Amino acid sequence: MASNEQTPVLEVKGLQTSFFTPDGEVKAVDGVDFSVNSNETLGIVGESGSGKSITSLSVMRLIQHPGKIVGGTIELSGEDLLKKSKQQFAKYRGNRLSMIFQEPMTSLNPVFTVGSQIAEAVRIHKKLDKKAAWQEAVNMLKLVGIPAPEDRAKRYPHELSGGMRQRVMIAIALSCDPELLIADEPTTALDVTIQAQILELIKELQEKSGMAVLMITHDLGVIAETADKVVVMYAGEVVEQADVKTLFKRPLHPYTQGLMNAIPRHDIDLDELEMIPGTVPTPQNMPSGCRFAERCPYARELCVEKHPELATPSNNVDEGITTGQTRCWIYTDEWDGPNPTKGVATNQ
Amino acid sequence: MHIFILRRLLQLIPVLFGVTLVAFLIIQLVPGDVAQVMAGEAASEAQLEQMRENLGLNDPLVVQYGRFLGDLIMFDLGESVRTGQPVMDIIAPRFIITVELALWGMVVAVSVGLFFGILSATYRNTIRDYGTMTLAVVGLSMPNFWLGLLLIYWFSIQLGVLPTSGWGTWQQVIMPAITMGTAGAAVIARMTRSSMLEVIDQDYVRTARAKGVSERFVVYKHAFRNALIPVVTVIGLQFGYFLSGAVLTENVFAINGLGRLVVDAISQRDFPVVQGAVIVLAITFVFVNFLVDIAYRVLNKRIDLN
Repeated sequence: MASNEQTPVLEVKGLQTSFFTPDGEVKAVDGVDFSVNSNETLGIVGESGSGKSITSLSVMRLIQHPGKIVGGTIELSGEDLLKKSKQQFAKYRGNRLSMIFQEPMTSLNPVFTVGSQIAEAVRIHKKLDKKAAWQEAVNMLKLVGIPAPEDRAKRYPHELSGGMRQRVMIAIALSCDPELLIADEPTTALDVTIQAQILELIKELQEKSGMAVLMITHDLGVIAETADKVVVMYAGEVVEQADVKTLFKRPLHPYTQGLMNAIPRHDIDLDELEMIPGTVPTPQNMPSGCRFAERCPYARELCVEKHPELATPSNNVDEGITTGQTRCWIYTDEWDGPNPTKGVATNQ
Repeated sequence: MHIFILRRLLQLIPVLFGVTLVAFLIIQLVPGDVAQVMAGEAASEAQLEQMRENLGLNDPLVVQYGRFLGDLIMFDLGESVRTGQPVMDIIAPRFIITVELALWGMVVAVSVGLFFGILSATYRNTIRDYGTMTLAVVGLSMPNFWLGLLLIYWFSIQLGVLPTSGWGTWQQVIMPAITMGTAGAAVIARMTRSSMLEVIDQDYVRTARAKGVSERFVVYKHAFRNALIPVVTVIGLQFGYFLSGAVLTENVFAINGLGRLVVDAISQRDFPVVQGAVIVLAITFVFVNFLVDIAYRVLNKRIDLN
């Protein structure tokens, strides 16, 4: 996609975030790498408990006690965010990088008008006076497509619908022209028709500003619609990474294939919805081998015993097919025999 | 907002009717013959008849209640059986003292309670939190007359820095205000703490942090404004308790407030005074609740006006 020479807006390397509970350390994110360039959308997809939300909160440094970032680097345009002091980082948060959340119904403060909540961010970072900040808030509401913005700015969150509130959240997040927008399940709590509008809006605003977007979702439909590159997470680590077309054309990891099969389809008559059996292993009893092994239909002894690395496939890939990287033994030279996933979930 | 206030005021009318009815019935419900009880054992039949006539006890109840209400609207609470003075004149100066005392108690309760409540919540599960909450349990458990006596012992007798009794100078205010306010401070601190803890994990607090709001503003602006909503109710209720609980503090510090007046009036069987005091306190309590309702509405935008 984007050229390799440019410095990525966000580059995460070896990120590890743990929660320190009375039962011991819980590794929610365990060595995650990815990067996003400007004007590019990276989708992070995974089930509940895969660590995708914790990853995004880590980038914002919003992990609350007893959670802690224990390893890795997070670089914003080359600056290591984890080396910044709290005060230094507060100047970046909401300014150079900002975030919108899954729950528009509860993400706005009920006792302040939406206008004042946008203006607050503007006043903090742009050092504008009250009146100018308010005007900026009204402009932002207009930008995110809220009708009658002067009037709406004076309303309280409970007077707006869920879709409107998510637009307000976007207005807050974008009020200071961030280089990076993190959208954590921004459409999950919304009606389907509103979902499409919100995704469209984010895309449109990205085209205007050239910001990088980190789209966190469990919904491959959202990924297909918005992302340029995709990272698939499972049990706290990246299991597959590719640009979006490659991923949908040839998903490598059995987990990714499972996710694709789990999308309900209306073009095929099925009695039951496909699903991946089992659940994400709890961090307390994380397998030492491949973390997906116990749910994987192709798992062998090798998979249970040894932990695979994220790598470009060197085996079992057809000639001339471009692929991303995956964390699966099937695509390594240590795998004996043909690719058992062949012909599975190759979406057209 | 104006409509909201008007509606609330209209809703007060039935409540006030109920209050006056109960207060009115106090005299009717005294066991035995009211006139006998008031006039004492030695009264002659003629004196009793005179007493009944004065109190209007010979009329039907409805007529008595109507007359009672009519007088009440004219701020006429009858006369004291003992001194013949209008009850209103007896109560008014005493009532002002009690309200002053309750207000000073509130100043202590609210400032100390909010401060320690927020402190406790922001340092949750640390030594400061445990220390504060332990103090709160002590403050809540200690009878306030006992606290008053301890204060007198320490500050008046041992150190000799504050007067033991009376009301008027600022030195005389300090100990009664602390005595009154301590239990309230403990209640408010505990309420503030739990309310803050509930709010501090809300999504909108995370949004505030994500905007780059400093931690101090996150706590005092975004979290506290929301946490205050249930606390205001508790504060309002505390004020009611303070008015009725003033009796003990007034007795410990020999303050001539309404509480002492009521206690004296009861022991002297001066029922019109008791009745008058009950009505004044009840109406104050109802009015404070009305103010709390409005404050609640101002703080919580989600309450539907209709």
